[in-house]
Amino acid sequence: MHLMRNAMRLAMAVAVLATGQAVAQEIKVGGIFDLTGITSDVGKSYAQGVRDYVALTNGSGGVNGKKIKLIDVDYGYKIPEAVSAYKRMKEEKVVLINGWGTGDTLALKNFINEDKIPYFSGSFAGDLTDPAKTPYNFFVAPSYSDQIRAWLSWVKEDWKDKSRNPKVALFYGDNAYGKAPMEAGRRFAKENGIDVVDEEILPGNFQDATSQLLNMKQKGADYAYINVTTTGVSLVLKGAKALGLATKFGSNPYGFSEQLPLVAKEAAEGVTGVMPQVPYGTPVPGMKALIDFNKANHGGEAHDALYVRGWTSAMVWVEALKRADKAGKLTGEGVRAALETFKDFDLGGLTSPVTWTATDHRPSTTTAVFIIKGGKLVKVKDYTFPRKPEWLGL
Amino acid sequence: MEFFLQLVVSGLVIGSIYALVGLGFVIIYKSSSILNFAQGEFLMLGAYVCLAIFTSYKVPFLPAFLLTLGFSALLGVLMERLLLRPMIGEPVISVIMLTLGLSSVLKALVQGIWGTDTRPYPEIFPTTPVMVGPLPVSQGYLYSMASVVVLLTMFSVFFKYSRAGIAMRATAFSQQVALSMGISVKRIFALAWSIAAVVSAVGGVLLGGIRGGVDGAFALFGLKVIPVVILGGLDSVAGAIVGGLVMGVLENLSGGYLDPLVGGGVKEVAPFIALVAILSVKPYGLFGKVKIERV
Amino acid sequence: MRCGDFRETYAEDMALFETAFARRAMFLFLAALVALPWFASAFWLDVSLRVLIAVVAATGLNILTGFTGQISLGNAAFLSVGAYATAYLAGHWNLPFPLVIPAAGLITALVGMVFGVPSLRLKGLYLAVATLAAHFVIEFVASHWEAVTGGVNGISIPSPKAGPLVLASDRQLYYLALPVAAGLLLFARNLFRTKVGKAFVAIRDQDISSEVMGVNVFRYKLLSFAVSSFYVGVAGSLLAYQARIISPENFPISVAIDQLGMIIIGGLGSLLGSVFGAVFITLLPELLRLVTGALATSFPELTTLFASVKMGVFGLAIVLFLIFEPDGMAARWHHIKNYWKLYPFSY
Repeated sequence: MHLMRNAMRLAMAVAVLATGQAVAQEIKVGGIFDLTGITSDVGKSYAQGVRDYVALTNGSGGVNGKKIKLIDVDYGYKIPEAVSAYKRMKEEKVVLINGWGTGDTLALKNFINEDKIPYFSGSFAGDLTDPAKTPYNFFVAPSYSDQIRAWLSWVKEDWKDKSRNPKVALFYGDNAYGKAPMEAGRRFAKENGIDVVDEEILPGNFQDATSQLLNMKQKGADYAYINVTTTGVSLVLKGAKALGLATKFGSNPYGFSEQLPLVAKEAAEGVTGVMPQVPYGTPVPGMKALIDFNKANHGGEAHDALYVRGWTSAMVWVEALKRADKAGKLTGEGVRAALETFKDFDLGGLTSPVTWTATDHRPSTTTAVFIIKGGKLVKVKDYTFPRKPEWLGL
Repeated sequence: MEFFLQLVVSGLVIGSIYALVGLGFVIIYKSSSILNFAQGEFLMLGAYVCLAIFTSYKVPFLPAFLLTLGFSALLGVLMERLLLRPMIGEPVISVIMLTLGLSSVLKALVQGIWGTDTRPYPEIFPTTPVMVGPLPVSQGYLYSMASVVVLLTMFSVFFKYSRAGIAMRATAFSQQVALSMGISVKRIFALAWSIAAVVSAVGGVLLGGIRGGVDGAFALFGLKVIPVVILGGLDSVAGAIVGGLVMGVLENLSGGYLDPLVGGGVKEVAPFIALVAILSVKPYGLFGKVKIERV
Repeated sequence: MRCGDFRETYAEDMALFETAFARRAMFLFLAALVALPWFASAFWLDVSLRVLIAVVAATGLNILTGFTGQISLGNAAFLSVGAYATAYLAGHWNLPFPLVIPAAGLITALVGMVFGVPSLRLKGLYLAVATLAAHFVIEFVASHWEAVTGGVNGISIPSPKAGPLVLASDRQLYYLALPVAAGLLLFARNLFRTKVGKAFVAIRDQDISSEVMGVNVFRYKLLSFAVSSFYVGVAGSLLAYQARIISPENFPISVAIDQLGMIIIGGLGSLLGSVFGAVFITLLPELLRLVTGALATSFPELTTLFASVKMGVFGLAIVLFLIFEPDGMAARWHHIKNYWKLYPFSY
């Protein structure tokens, strides 16, 4: 039966190829996702979120009647692959691209500026928020820098011993994503009476973090922030448990999600994490659309916060396409102009409202810190930061 | 001092996994003079197959593990029969490339079937660490140490007393002489490949249990273990074990003492630096057999 | 009437092209290559540029591995040396490209010689592993020597410049890469008609015998490493100019494996083979992408499977070639040519 259906689809695909597609109104959008690389543990879910929201839009009238054609590729978290995918998409004349990692987004930023193609990234690097430098880069979440600030603020509140400052260690991947928020974190810690006592680098495909953890133990860190994706975070947590360390760990939104307690099991207990998007299934107004869509199309399958993240990213740029289309300017410049009209754009509680101006591309500065209790994600509280001008682009 | 000891102990336990995979390399090299670059993929495949039998077919862990070993043995024989046998007499580079090509195919197969997500592994070992003196050590590593010891003893006995083992040693010594003594060299090769695949699968399952999950990164162990077997000498079983433990400790010590100085990553490269140093002094590794070439 | 190709003089025996027809065909082919950018779309231009770069790199590797018999798994690292040298010379010192490209080649040649020293004592597998070590050592340096390499964030490379001339577009770069590739191929072709080239081949066939015959094995092995790395360095330089930003991620070990695949599939010890292999391995993923891309609208899973399919097909191609055509595409080409030479009277 399954085979039959696949055969039918193949036949249809061949037929479509042969006759040439005759779709009048189409908006081409590029997607550069990591489905098989070192961040695919979180990248796949994100990509699914983007795709599903596009499918939902196309099924309910599209962008003012025009269908979105998502041309997506898997770049395996490799910068050269992303560059060549970008070149292909440019040739396809996409209006906008939804990309992924920090390294590749930074590598592409000069191309993006030259070609004037708005680029949404899964990366929330603070570097990308200054329109004077990166006028076409966007993302939907507070920046990595605000996220580490939120976590450090939580540390400050959690630290009860007033005789000395809390000692914090930073673990990060040996790549642009890992290092992105570290400078912001160091400065924020310094200004707020937190001592960064140790920094440990985790190589790309590390298998064991024992020596890093032992180093950290020597420096006596009370808290540690792990800035890698879920698989890596789980390795560090398990290593720490095996060594019997008492350090309290925290992680970033690509390390901390519903997946973490599944992979790290008991080692994940008590771990905190920054969550700019709500976990899947949280009772907020915007969640109904996701659950209905999944009931209708994926048999009610459950997802995670990464899926919500992809979904919200697509929500925002679909809205921008609608606005640009209404203004009759469905071009890269037109979409950027439309994005810069966003003011407290509400995403149904899936993530905090989004605002962009021509001089400030920080989408929002509010993020929640969650903690894992009994294998479940429990919200601690929201942190909001002022839009300090000196924090723009940091 | 405690820092140092802890680094050494954790290095030893990781080294035991290296030793296990290294054993597979050595067994293949000893009998057929092939360095199998697909060894890491055997390890990964073993881990995945065991998980699939365990979760999809609801077989209890122990039988699932035994089935995996059976599967690996079969896989090894198949690989040898279909791919390696036509390569007899081809230059080294071709054989190296063949195993590299094979590793691509196996990786693609695993990725295609199971995807690239980290799959959670059943809890084989209790996760609470055990105290060795003052030092906490995770139980999974103790099991891997134990299995290394068991396997090493088994292989020593096997090579020394069993007919097949003696035949393997004879083949390693000289294929022509072995042939003329009525040993089926083809069968010995197949046996070597299946033993190597089985040993790797044991390593894969242990690793899965220790890490609590399995993903494509397991294949990297194949590359990581290369300095180990070269250090020990490609044709020495004892060398693989010693090499594995030494490399584990070396990695951890360099990670512990040098990482803070240069900003990380030394751990990954230290084994290779050591490798170059050793090879420039002893071109056949520490315990390897020195080849005398004649025209 | 002459009814075959009879070599009656030494000059004829040594000629670059065996027949006038071969010479004319080559000129036609070159003319087609020159005209290509005016017909190819931007994407295919990008692909052809990558093919040219791969041809240079594969030729370099073939000189070392195919002709001299020294196995190298360090090619990705040598490629990165050429690329980083370009980034530094063109970025920091603002040198023009006619200086940068050969300089990048020379720097890489030096580095290649350093890592070639162990080849004096190491052979076969042990040498392969030593070059593998070279790969990881160079990769470590590339990601940690931030002042020169920009570390893991990578480093940007300005467009190639020489005085008022700026080669910004892919089409202009193509006209830089094409003569470089053609020139280096011609050089390699001539190299193997000289004493040096013959010495390389002698070492490959039997190093001890060749030493007895008076070939200074160590010197020629080192020289082979140098020449090979020069080629790879030039390829790295072109690659840097094309990519415009490079980071250690551009040069994973899989690049070295790809290049070994090129010369294996193309034909070890055959210049034509390096060209065939480079074209084949570079085009393979692009053609696969075309097929999967066309089907992806109906089979969305294919996007996810693409990476595995690509890897699997690559591995399978290598395995099948090794088992069924160990001499590579170049040998197949000769068979086909010989078949048609006397068609229809071949027997």
